[in-house]
Amino acid sequence: MSRRRATALPRGEGGAAEAKPRAPLRFGDDPLLWAAWLYYEDELTQSEIASVMGISRPTVIAYLAEAREQGIVNISINGDRFRALSLARQLSAHFGLKDCLVIPAEGGTASLIERLGRAGAQGLGWHLRAGDMIGIGWGRTMLAVAEAAGDSGLSDLTVMPATGAMTADLSYAPELCATRLAQNLSARMIPVSSPAILSDPGMRDGLLQEPVLAAQLSNLTRLDMVLLGLSPLRPGSTVEASGFLTTPEENRDNYRNAVGAIAGRFYDAAGKTVPGSLDGRTIGIDLPGLLRVPTRIGVCGGFDKVQAILGALRGELVNVLVTDSATAEGILRADGIEVQRQSLTRRPPTLPGRDRDEPPVMAGMQPVKKILNDPRDAVNEAIEGMLLAFPQYLRPIGGSLRSLARAHPAPSGKVGLVIGGGAGHEPMFLGYVGPGLADAAAIGNVFSSPPPDRILDCTRQADGGAGVLHVFGNYTGDTMNFEMAAEMAAAEGIAVRSVITTDDVASSPASDRAARRGTAGNAFVFKIAGAACDRMLSLDECERIAGKANAHTYSMGAGLSACSLPETGRPSFLLGPDEIELGVGIHGEPGVMRADLMTADGIADRIIETLIEDASLGAGARIALLLNTLGSTPMMELAIVNRRIHKRLAARKIEVVQSWLGDYCTSLDMAGLSVSMLVLDEELQDFLQHPCDSIALTFCPDA
Amino acid sequence: MTGFANAGSGIVVRGIAEAVVSNRAWLSEIDGKIGDGDHGNNMAKGFARAAERIGDGDRLDAAFATVTDVLMGEIGGSMGPLYGMFFSDMADVVADEEVIDPALFARMLAAGCEGVMAIGEAKAGDKCLLDALVPAVAAAEETASEGFPVMLAAMRQAATEGRDSTKDMIARIGRASRLGERSRGVLDAGAASCCLILHALADGVEKRLT
Repeated sequence: MSRRRATALPRGEGGAAEAKPRAPLRFGDDPLLWAAWLYYEDELTQSEIASVMGISRPTVIAYLAEAREQGIVNISINGDRFRALSLARQLSAHFGLKDCLVIPAEGGTASLIERLGRAGAQGLGWHLRAGDMIGIGWGRTMLAVAEAAGDSGLSDLTVMPATGAMTADLSYAPELCATRLAQNLSARMIPVSSPAILSDPGMRDGLLQEPVLAAQLSNLTRLDMVLLGLSPLRPGSTVEASGFLTTPEENRDNYRNAVGAIAGRFYDAAGKTVPGSLDGRTIGIDLPGLLRVPTRIGVCGGFDKVQAILGALRGELVNVLVTDSATAEGILRADGIEVQRQSLTRRPPTLPGRDRDEPPVMAGMQPVKKILNDPRDAVNEAIEGMLLAFPQYLRPIGGSLRSLARAHPAPSGKVGLVIGGGAGHEPMFLGYVGPGLADAAAIGNVFSSPPPDRILDCTRQADGGAGVLHVFGNYTGDTMNFEMAAEMAAAEGIAVRSVITTDDVASSPASDRAARRGTAGNAFVFKIAGAACDRMLSLDECERIAGKANAHTYSMGAGLSACSLPETGRPSFLLGPDEIELGVGIHGEPGVMRADLMTADGIADRIIETLIEDASLGAGARIALLLNTLGSTPMMELAIVNRRIHKRLAARKIEVVQSWLGDYCTSLDMAGLSVSMLVLDEELQDFLQHPCDSIALTFCPDA
Repeated sequence: MTGFANAGSGIVVRGIAEAVVSNRAWLSEIDGKIGDGDHGNNMAKGFARAAERIGDGDRLDAAFATVTDVLMGEIGGSMGPLYGMFFSDMADVVADEEVIDPALFARMLAAGCEGVMAIGEAKAGDKCLLDALVPAVAAAEETASEGFPVMLAAMRQAATEGRDSTKDMIARIGRASRLGERSRGVLDAGAASCCLILHALADGVEKRLT
């Protein structure tokens, strides 16, 4: 039998101990704790424990049972195991759920509602954090969840009912569910001092004006999570028993497109609101309000609930689902999904010759540990954190986290510089916004161009009457989106020019320079373009100089391991222990060629020789050099490579005017580095030394 | 009457959205082989948001326009503008028509295809969504005179064959184009999603005809 993982908690007072030999001192003469410790922590068998403690085996069993009963031992089932169940995985994947918990349909003597209640309480525990405000609906299942919830040990929790109150003879009314949950979580409780349904709309509108109620209800907009029961529309269901439908026949007719109700709001098979006569008389959260709550835990099971759950899932009214396996299968089948009984955690062996066969590179990819909350929130949460760290440089334009402007406005009459691209390259692009650099940056999803609207917002913001320069990397998506934004800006009378960066020598031969992609060399182009704008040059001049900087920039990368995207959590390709990829891009794509692992000097030689040849550099040339980590390669290794590169350049009599080292343009957590150089003439060197100040780049020549 | 009403055909677009959303994982998996593996997620995000905003009674052109707004305004990347233009240019063709007959339907598809080509600078053979779209449009144009059932079947088949043809191609556009020979041997995610969209479009139109 596999041993359960459990924790024996120390207990304050010692119990009466008749056991000899005596319990070790650390157990405080507490035989229950001692027995539990030996069983769960030391993993002794019950017979071994009997012998150690000098008692009979039945007594050991009794002690262990008593220890569980008294809460000395808390058995918690690992949530990942549950989530890994194939049904939960299929539901999560199909409906895009944050989380899903599927319990066995049959089991024990407890009713389904009780068991769902316990599972719901466990699901709540996974998502609960200190300081959370939790809303709760009503119904038998909600009461079961509230009853099963245990003290989480989290501080500053608040619970409130999602609606007003119900008739007093209902044991699972909203206020009772909320009160019980608040008690069990040791949370503060905010009441809603009004009936859920009023007899006429005028009364409701009047009540909503009352300051006490208005203050209570305003908390509904601040909920971090909400626990919901889903009620199907059928005679005898909670909705009707609660007196929501005062004249069932008439109301059912009114709501005949509805498949279910959540917190007294009716929705159809697509999860959309079904309007009706109750809307104007209901006090509580409505469906649009519900959708604004980040975590929406639906607890519901039973085959009669399938349509109601399906509608709620389609409409995303619920993004965490707790249900039983029979209902889960029903939901998937009803939505036309073949139920897979096998676990999806391991893929079946692939069949040759079919669509779905996989290149060997996909085999054996393990999930990568990451410090994330919901991966879908990663970009916004990261930008929020950046704004908090760097308010002196950045501020959101019009409240958007994806269009960021410099904190202090530029002088008018200056050409505006707008940069942008996908997230995942931090500190690029937002790290290059500031005086002497860009005026605004548009940020897309991970490795995905921002849409034109965000670029347009940046363009409007950056426009000081002298026109705006767009600088971005040469990728299909970025080119299309920036072009559209430029057209839209032109239609508003803003003159826009674009410089597309093409520094990566590995991506295309020198003869087809325009096809190269833009990588870490962007930093040089942003620097030069920013300086030109800051010197109040004309739009024509700024465009020319930025274009020249790009034409003089050369980069090449080497990857030691792939990056993994927040939403997939797996490496985008696999490298053997003795392999590196040369010519890698900055989006987790494989490089142009694979080579045997080399020493730092070997990598340095390979890259710098390629760059020197591609740029046709001879003795006497002057360059600025940039060594950039792709994410997880440490500064120490960059410095080792830097040492060799300087040595090689000195031998060729190439002068390094500036040497930058660090994180300038990363590719999430990719291991590896890139080397960029900007070949200088007097003009470019002059602009390079112009002062600038931003998160990624600060240069003050006078200091 | 051999056509279907424009009014109320927004439901066809909801069907397309459902198809995209339920194939999210598959599309991402294909994309993961030579791209960054988020095609399914991005497409599903966009189409799911669009479907929420399409009403049962919406006209086909209005529903197309809703998809365009979401893809171009909120999704970004390369698929946002490409599919955005596809649906936008299709909407323009049918906006003033009450009944959509096979010839008009074929013209609509052709306009969508031209929209994609105008913005994306790609062409069939580049290992991209056009490899599914271009042959599907050609098949629709050739068979339009034979009525919807024949035309839709021909369009589906051409789209599927076009999608499958990308497997042996080397990418010439997009991020995968830097991989050269290494991009051969896997389907193109854009062609796969385009094929999916065309099939769902055909399914939806068939339902409107009965």
